[in-house]
Amino acid sequence: MSKVKSVPSTTVRAMIEVSITPQKELGFDSIAERIYSYPQVKSCYLLSGGFDLLVVVEGESIHDVADFVAAKLSSMANVRQTATHFLLRKYKEEGQIFKHPKNERRQNISY
Amino acid sequence: MRISKRVDDLAPSGIRAFFDLVLGMKDVISLGVGEPDFVTPWHVRARAIESLEQGYTSYTSNKGMFELRSAITAFLKKKYSIQYDPEEEVLITVGVSEALDLAMRAILNPGEKILIPEPCYVAYGPVVELAGGEPIFLKTSIETNFKVTPQQIDQAAGRGVRGILLGYPSNPTGTSYSKKELEAIAKVIRKHDMLVISDELYDELTYDFEHTPMASLPQMKDRVIYLNGFSKSYAMTGFRIGYVCGPADLVGAMTKIHQYTMLCASITGQMAALEALKNSAGDVQAMKKEYDRRRRFIVGALNDIGLTCHMPQGAFYAFPSIKITGESSMDFAKNLLLKQKVALVPGDAFGQCCRDHVRISYASSYDNLKEAIVRIDKYLKKK
Repeated sequence: MSKVKSVPSTTVRAMIEVSITPQKELGFDSIAERIYSYPQVKSCYLLSGGFDLLVVVEGESIHDVADFVAAKLSSMANVRQTATHFLLRKYKEEGQIFKHPKNERRQNISY
Repeated sequence: MRISKRVDDLAPSGIRAFFDLVLGMKDVISLGVGEPDFVTPWHVRARAIESLEQGYTSYTSNKGMFELRSAITAFLKKKYSIQYDPEEEVLITVGVSEALDLAMRAILNPGEKILIPEPCYVAYGPVVELAGGEPIFLKTSIETNFKVTPQQIDQAAGRGVRGILLGYPSNPTGTSYSKKELEAIAKVIRKHDMLVISDELYDELTYDFEHTPMASLPQMKDRVIYLNGFSKSYAMTGFRIGYVCGPADLVGAMTKIHQYTMLCASITGQMAALEALKNSAGDVQAMKKEYDRRRRFIVGALNDIGLTCHMPQGAFYAFPSIKITGESSMDFAKNLLLKQKVALVPGDAFGQCCRDHVRISYASSYDNLKEAIVRIDKYLKKK
């Protein structure tokens, strides 16, 4: 049987800034655990700066991600605010550069 | 209109019609392209533009710009410890294709033979025939990773055989040879006093071991016509710059033909090639790294979906067997194109022993490769 799976070409990824009211003695860990336990959450980082958690979420569509943010994330206790940034184009990821030539200038077939 | 017998006798290419079919279709995922998907590094393009701005629009020496020939000999000395005289032993050509043609015309008398391991690049047989020679194909198979053996060469040598035309890493199989394997081949070459026309255009794209030029082996430099160029390693196919290094008398003979038929390679291309040689080592390594990533993916994925594929050691081609489909490579390629819109090159193009294989170029984006595998898998399952 093939091990190769079709990757849905409509996969949407968003980086979500999450501001949190830390819990006494638990800090951010408990709320972070609740967030990263969702399978839609691919990565979750605690950051310094203007917000607390950076959460990377994937869904099959923008609506899918938006529903997750509205129904699961924003409504969670201690989550004060979210800002969702949809990924539009990958230029470089994990050291890998993704080039996006405007036009394929090669012929479709050659020796 | 009557055409020359020599041209008329060249085997007709059934592949041409397939190429036309591919070129006429839209929205095809093509794994059939024999050139890098990277654009020439910017600083190389910038040098070409700058040279035009500065008015470099003339002919150069027939042999090519001395500065470029010197840079090539310095490069070969540093990288492979081979020493050539830039004045007498180097010629800049219009791609390796021209160098190949010149080499055959310079060394062959009518009826003399050239050994060619098969599968091979499409032009190998025709350039020998056009020079009045006779190609003798040495068939290889997936069982031996498409490598020609010293025994095969030994058995075919003699009887008017002038030399062997060896391309490694290979287009179409990606096969290359270790130093030890080349030494065994070189021994047979010396035994039969043969020449080696060594097409090493993909040398920089060797993944599993260090590339060894045939000319770098002991007692071989004087019997090797070393062919290389900028098209593949530096992503400069459109600039059409190749070169040949070899014994002064052979390079001189090739230069004699070149000066009457080509005069010189384009000065813009030569300027760009010089810049590439001076400052593109990092670009070459970055491209090689990405090809290697794709190579590992595509070979693994092809085997996973049932198409047996050996691990190519170089270039950017995989050459899987499609025997399990029961189709000829041409039928497989046509059906895959029409039903799943994936283009690849039927093995027939590269020799008669290749009808159970197709050439897959992984000079295509990782996403394209992934999607192509999904489509090929679908095609196989629907059969």
